[in-house]
Amino acid sequence: MAHFGADVIKIESRTSPDVVRLLGSAWLKDQEDLAPIASDTSPYVSEMNASKRSVGLELKTEQGKAAAMQILAECDVFLANFGARALADLGFDYASVKAVKPDIVYVQLPGFGSDPNMPYYPFVAWGPNQAPLVGMDDFTGHSDDPPAGIATVAPPDYMSALHAAIATLTGLEQRDLTGEGVHVDISQFETTLALLGPFVMDYDLTGTVPSRMGNRSMWGAPQGVYPCFGIENWIAISATDDEDWDALRGLAGNAIDDVFDDATRRIEQQDLLDEQIASWTIKYQVDDLVDRLQTLGVAAHAVSSNEDLLHDTHVMSRGWYQVAASKRLGRDVFSNCLVRLDQTPGRWTHAGPSMGQHTREVLQSYAGLSDAQIDELIDVEAAFESIAPDMVTTRPWDDWIHIFIPGVDDARDL
Amino acid sequence: MVGPYEGVTVMDTTGLTGAYATRLFAGLGAEVIHLEPPQGSALRRLTPFVESVDPPENSLWWNYLAMGTRSVVIDPEDTESLERLISQADVVFEDQLPEHSGIPAEIIGSSTIRTRILPFGLTGPKRGWKSSNLVAWAGSGILYTTGFVDRPPVAPAAPVQLACHAAGASALVGTLLALRSRRLSGVVQNVEISMQEAALTIAPETGVPMLLDDRVHRERTGNRRDLGRPFGLYPCSDGFVSIIVLMPRHWVAMAQWVAEVTGNESITEPVFEENAVRIEAKDLIDEWVEELTRQGTRLELFQEGQRRGIPITPVNTVDALVDDPHLEAADYWSSTELHDGQTVTVPGAPFRTNSQWWSTSRAPFLGEHTELYVN
Repeated sequence: MAHFGADVIKIESRTSPDVVRLLGSAWLKDQEDLAPIASDTSPYVSEMNASKRSVGLELKTEQGKAAAMQILAECDVFLANFGARALADLGFDYASVKAVKPDIVYVQLPGFGSDPNMPYYPFVAWGPNQAPLVGMDDFTGHSDDPPAGIATVAPPDYMSALHAAIATLTGLEQRDLTGEGVHVDISQFETTLALLGPFVMDYDLTGTVPSRMGNRSMWGAPQGVYPCFGIENWIAISATDDEDWDALRGLAGNAIDDVFDDATRRIEQQDLLDEQIASWTIKYQVDDLVDRLQTLGVAAHAVSSNEDLLHDTHVMSRGWYQVAASKRLGRDVFSNCLVRLDQTPGRWTHAGPSMGQHTREVLQSYAGLSDAQIDELIDVEAAFESIAPDMVTTRPWDDWIHIFIPGVDDARDL
Repeated sequence: MVGPYEGVTVMDTTGLTGAYATRLFAGLGAEVIHLEPPQGSALRRLTPFVESVDPPENSLWWNYLAMGTRSVVIDPEDTESLERLISQADVVFEDQLPEHSGIPAEIIGSSTIRTRILPFGLTGPKRGWKSSNLVAWAGSGILYTTGFVDRPPVAPAAPVQLACHAAGASALVGTLLALRSRRLSGVVQNVEISMQEAALTIAPETGVPMLLDDRVHRERTGNRRDLGRPFGLYPCSDGFVSIIVLMPRHWVAMAQWVAEVTGNESITEPVFEENAVRIEAKDLIDEWVEELTRQGTRLELFQEGQRRGIPITPVNTVDALVDDPHLEAADYWSSTELHDGQTVTVPGAPFRTNSQWWSTSRAPFLGEHTELYVN
């Protein structure tokens, strides 16, 4: 939403910081003089918060809470991902926010919903362990292995966030058209589970409990990840229909047994088929084989590492990695917004903010506080501003990022 | 349908990548019409099938994802009917490049929003490439880091088709933004989603900005992650539980629990309160934590760990979910009707609201609404 022009204000706490503030940067560990600004250096800050403003308010203090409510009275939308109980304890439940802003679009994303009578209401939830809870980790891995789990990323976080964006936009429409605000309760548990419909139905009808099946498809064969020439070079291929098969077979020739021209055999004897495909793919450079397959209309891609993505002309030509100004780091790199609108394409005003970077300006313009009132809030530790605002540094890539990301200046020319 | 998008007419010509978007749109009140070829949507050919129902009404994917929508069959030669239908549309969802689209630009009305969900987007050297759920993950960096290091990389929850649904949900976000800009400023515009970028969006934790910053090559780490400790899947007496300890208070509670159950006093030493130290000593921490987890079942550990305020969850399968006490108490499950009249359990509304937003109905039969719209 910030990318498309909304003024997104992130309320941050020093006593209970956002987890991304705790992570810091790898290179900072050896630089004790920069320790005070560690919370502004995690790459996640820009990944998650580019173009947002950061306001430091301690919601557990009466004054901090009052200032937040003054800001909220001027806002269209309130979005919170605290646990439902924590949010209610802080006094930011729907009824309290509605009292200061009657037509607020209020969207909360607690792990298990905001109804205190429900069994898991007090439970703590994080995206990474919502995935196992809704069965996604059991679905991940090769069929003979223990669950591999979704260790590296947290899809439920992103799916909930997408649902929150849908709910927020819908809430704004409703408010504009009827004058009524709305309370949206997004339980990550329920939202993520909504992606499992067909499996729930199949279990209800037949008692089937589906589990992981590697990279295979339920709808045809072959589909998988196969080794290519070299070390840790893999190709992903989906050739699940007859047309795909004919193309793949034309390329592989006698390397694959002709019994597999029968689609049923391809599904029934996938182990053998995969073995034959693997002993064929391993002779190729991965990019060469991907090109040959895609030229014939077969879905295939190198299993890209980050290093590969950094050299990926397609990803770069689409401007997927963006660089924008950062108060603390001079500039920072982050991923673009995948939603592309052709007439109002959006923009990035800045990379992730320093913690409390915008406290003063937001309290002035939204809450109408004077400098003296803001100073007082800071004195009693109900609010805070950016720590050591003049302390700046650069990321290790600052001198050479222009080599990789198109349209970025060479730092030596700046 | 009643709902916030009542009066918005949507044509869906996509398959799996757009279906989740139009399912949500229909649930929120839009009039969604699947424009199907005479042999039916590709979704209708996706297993699992209902045994007691004949094709093309037997796919559970269709019966779930097409809920609340309508089905109109148009002969590819019948351009006149196509034009009449398209001209009524506020939004058209497509999964083809413009040059392959069955809907020529000249029949699109001047106020119609075209939302395209494409494998690699409208531009760039790979714009013509084919994709699939697996291929989208391959191009995101996530596939490379998922799985055990001694086994081939593996897609996250492959059967669920997450990359497709992420693309679909994002397409709906873009479409709602476009509808809003049309209403507020009269700007009519098109929406573009690249499936590869939908998967890339989920990658920050393992993505390129991280690599640029720490220059650490990321390997597959099995079912644990070196962002914290304990972090990932831990074996228990009847399967696995997932434990995510990052926050200081979660560690204190975790260490206390291990100490109480296993008598291990070393784990409560202050030195381990620092996440970085625990990551350095990960084998030791994992061993100590496993001494605890191996003693309990998924459900016991879930409930006791949560009572102590630790983010711990069971590694569930569908059967456990259908019987889950919270979902039952929250009255989450809903149902739909199949072609032969039997009802079957389905997930309920994806979120809850204090005003009536969500309503749905069974998926349409092939061509069920053709007459209503074409003749």
